[in-house]
Amino acid sequence: MEQVIANGLYLGAQYALIALGLTLIFALMNVLNFAHGQMYVLGGFITYTIYGQLGLPFVVALLASGVTLAVIGALMEKFLFRTVIRRSHREESTMLLAAATAFFFDAVILLLFGEKQRGVPKIVKGVFNDAGIIMPYDRLVVGALAIIFIAAFVLYMQYSRVGRAMRALAQDRVAAQLMGVRVDRYSMIGFAMGAMLAGVVGGLLVTITGVNSGIGGPISIKAFLMVMIGGAGVVGGAIAGGFILGMMESVGLTVLREYGDVTYLVIFAALMVFLSVRPNGLMGKPWG
Amino acid sequence: MTLNRNTRIAAVVAFLAIVFVAVPAAISSSGRFDLYYTLTSVALLSIASAGVWLTFYIGRINIGQGAYALMGGYVSAILVMNHGWSFWLTLPVAGLFCAAASVLIGLPILRLRGVYFAMVTLVLTEVARLLALALPITNGAKGIVSIPLPGALSVFGVTLIPDFATLQNSRLAFYLLAVTVMVVCFAVMYRLVNSRIGKLCQSLQQNEELASSIGVNIAYLRVIAYAVSSFFGGVSGAIFAAISQSIYPSSFTVTDSVNFMLNCFLGGLGYVFGPMLGTLVLYFGWDLLFQTGQFQLLIYSGLMIVLMLVLPNGLLSLAEMTRKKG
Amino acid sequence: MAEMLEVSGLTKRFGGLVAVNNVSFSVREKEILSVIGPNGAGKSTLFKLISSFLKPTTGEVRLKGERISGLAPHIAARRGVVRTFQETTIFRNMSVRDNVIIAHHLRSKASLFGFFLGTGAAKTDEAAFGQSADEILTLLGLSSLSNETARNLPHGHLRALGIAIGLATNPSILLLDEPFAGMNHDETMRMVEMVRRLRERGLTILLVEHDMPAVMKISDRLVVLNFGQKIAEGTPSEIQADEKVIEAYLGSEDEAIGL
Ligand SMILES: Nc1ncnc2c1ncn2[C@@H]1O[C@H](COP(=O)(O)OP(=O)(O)OP(=O)(O)O)[C@@H](O)[C@H]1O
Ligand SMILES: [Mg+2]
Repeated sequence: MEQVIANGLYLGAQYALIALGLTLIFALMNVLNFAHGQMYVLGGFITYTIYGQLGLPFVVALLASGVTLAVIGALMEKFLFRTVIRRSHREESTMLLAAATAFFFDAVILLLFGEKQRGVPKIVKGVFNDAGIIMPYDRLVVGALAIIFIAAFVLYMQYSRVGRAMRALAQDRVAAQLMGVRVDRYSMIGFAMGAMLAGVVGGLLVTITGVNSGIGGPISIKAFLMVMIGGAGVVGGAIAGGFILGMMESVGLTVLREYGDVTYLVIFAALMVFLSVRPNGLMGKPWG
Repeated sequence: MTLNRNTRIAAVVAFLAIVFVAVPAAISSSGRFDLYYTLTSVALLSIASAGVWLTFYIGRINIGQGAYALMGGYVSAILVMNHGWSFWLTLPVAGLFCAAASVLIGLPILRLRGVYFAMVTLVLTEVARLLALALPITNGAKGIVSIPLPGALSVFGVTLIPDFATLQNSRLAFYLLAVTVMVVCFAVMYRLVNSRIGKLCQSLQQNEELASSIGVNIAYLRVIAYAVSSFFGGVSGAIFAAISQSIYPSSFTVTDSVNFMLNCFLGGLGYVFGPMLGTLVLYFGWDLLFQTGQFQLLIYSGLMIVLMLVLPNGLLSLAEMTRKKG
Repeated sequence: MAEMLEVSGLTKRFGGLVAVNNVSFSVREKEILSVIGPNGAGKSTLFKLISSFLKPTTGEVRLKGERISGLAPHIAARRGVVRTFQETTIFRNMSVRDNVIIAHHLRSKASLFGFFLGTGAAKTDEAAFGQSADEILTLLGLSSLSNETARNLPHGHLRALGIAIGLATNPSILLLDEPFAGMNHDETMRMVEMVRRLRERGLTILLVEHDMPAVMKISDRLVVLNFGQKIAEGTPSEIQADEKVIEAYLGSEDEAIGL
């Protein structure tokens, strides 16, 4: 039992971090970033290259993952999404663009890093074994790091000047503009931050589960699930959704182990029922 | 639209002449019989995309069509293999089965809007794949294989369609089948959109609250549109299973669902024939890029991004732009 | 005069907030009754309850004696209760004429399938709707704009289009939420005339409005809400003399009630 909860928390922390990035981009720009999973994979491969191949310290690798993805995110906002949002009649067009970028990243990742599953040396050796919980130290470290990043993100959004501006933007784009918030600039920063979060989680998790070029799509789907559970565009919702999905997966994989993929089927079915009762998720803003 | 009646009839006749006469003639004289397979695929994918387009028309972004294509394929395959039904009977049944399922699924999820609906339908595609893996009747990852070719269809002793297995060119037969179904589907769509129903759908797309305040039963209309959409998906999946004589859980995946959506976007969401054009361009584009080998996906997606930047409102919006300028 | 609409004991809670609190009144046939009150008094919520866009927490609404509260909005519309919205609400990407034609939906005799097949009934419907739409557009002074795309209309005309859409449904009672909002004096006076003419054609009208001179001029009777509660009801002159009403309005910023 304790084991299941511990696993759930560890997974949940990673998931929450992924969902935060997705929800930030959505809240600021109303863009559903299909390429989020691919950004995660890219982050994973960057850490793999720097830490696993070149042998540089893990911290450097993680930093590189974050920074690279932030730059990519900023460029995507500035040169792709901004243009399309301005020129298209419908908001949905950004979805096509996002899907196209997802394919593009898939192609780039495949060309650069190949199809193989890649792993890196453990960052910490040994296994924690006490109070009925068995957990390798590296998972503990990665879990703790994820929670620290979540806390830092929440504090940053709450108290920094940039964070406040972004929250104003998320609430009401027009009003924020009238208040003098530089919409373009903060959209770009937000996109960069969202992408950075995805990259960082990729870098963290490559040390545990490894990475391969095919998992981008499934990761995006999981991120969508979390955001739907918690409510799109809400920071608290993304965190809640992440932990809930992590917990459900942990419980499901233990209880339903014999039935294979049934865990996800159950989660999906539960989500359908849940959404028909609460269409905006736990904390989402109502639509229309 | 703005075309007058005569030009419209002429355009339809020309279109029919091309797909039913000119294309087969050109293929048989050039000997490129592989093109039949390509064009058949385009026709079938454009049927599924047409369904997605119809859900767009009521203001919902549908990334779940893969689920219904898969469902239709399995329904037809199971009925043919396990119950000895004729393919011709399973075709409408597969469509109706999907429509019925979509009513059950649609009732709760059609209340969602915007990205929520998009995400749920995306998830739905994944659910369908997992179901196909988990259910005993679908035979798991091994799928259903060696499905016999469609048999003869005869009514009162008159053979309307010969047994595909006895034909020397079953590719042509499948092409004609797919194209015929496509023509019927798009005719239905055209009629829907240009009748009052189309206006009602538009009213949903533009303002659901106002629509219900003028007495439109929005829940009912949404479900109807979604059911028609899913019917298209099921029919296209069933024919696919018949052509490839097999169906697997991975026959239609999230990528396919996304592609159906992209076909609609690319063709242009404001135009009934958008999904047909979008599918043709994307499929042929993908095929042409085959020679670029490992760079195929890179170039394809790169071009798509560029296209989005240049023509964010779809290919058919080009026509509108030139008309405005001229 | 017969009673058209009867509101009794209507209450709506949003969590802890009681937006409409035990409100009762009735609207007579061919009457223009206005609901006034400071911002946030619960007027729009009251309208949503009457038009079945919201389900009341308690209480009920009856139209010609038949209970209509708690139904779906489109069914309330079918029974004859139709509202216009406080925010400008139109079908943005349709032409002005199509906006009004589509609003004839309730009057159509053909079924959806009939429209699909293009049956005789459907064709008769289409022709009749087109004609009726043109009449309504003329009535509201929009006929010169009938082929314009709705989103390009100037504000005053948008409000008129909203009313045209409401009219096209052929309601027994039309609920207008702030129809004069954002209009200048001339436009308001023209609109007041318009609403009067609608009443002469036999329509019952329930109105929410902040423009006091217009309200006093147009209404047969008024109901005053404050913090969700009805604090007064009566003719314009009675209301203007009512202490509670004056207090409520003085309490809230600087809205003037008098002429
Ligand atoms: N869906 C809702 N959920 C929660 N509270 C609501 C909801 N709708 C309205 N309210 C609250 O109910 C109260 C009454 O709102 P309402 O819109 O009915 O006021 P109003 O009289 O129409 O005001 P105005 O003159 O500004 O239009 C307000 O305090 C509002 O915040
Ligand atoms: Mg109001």
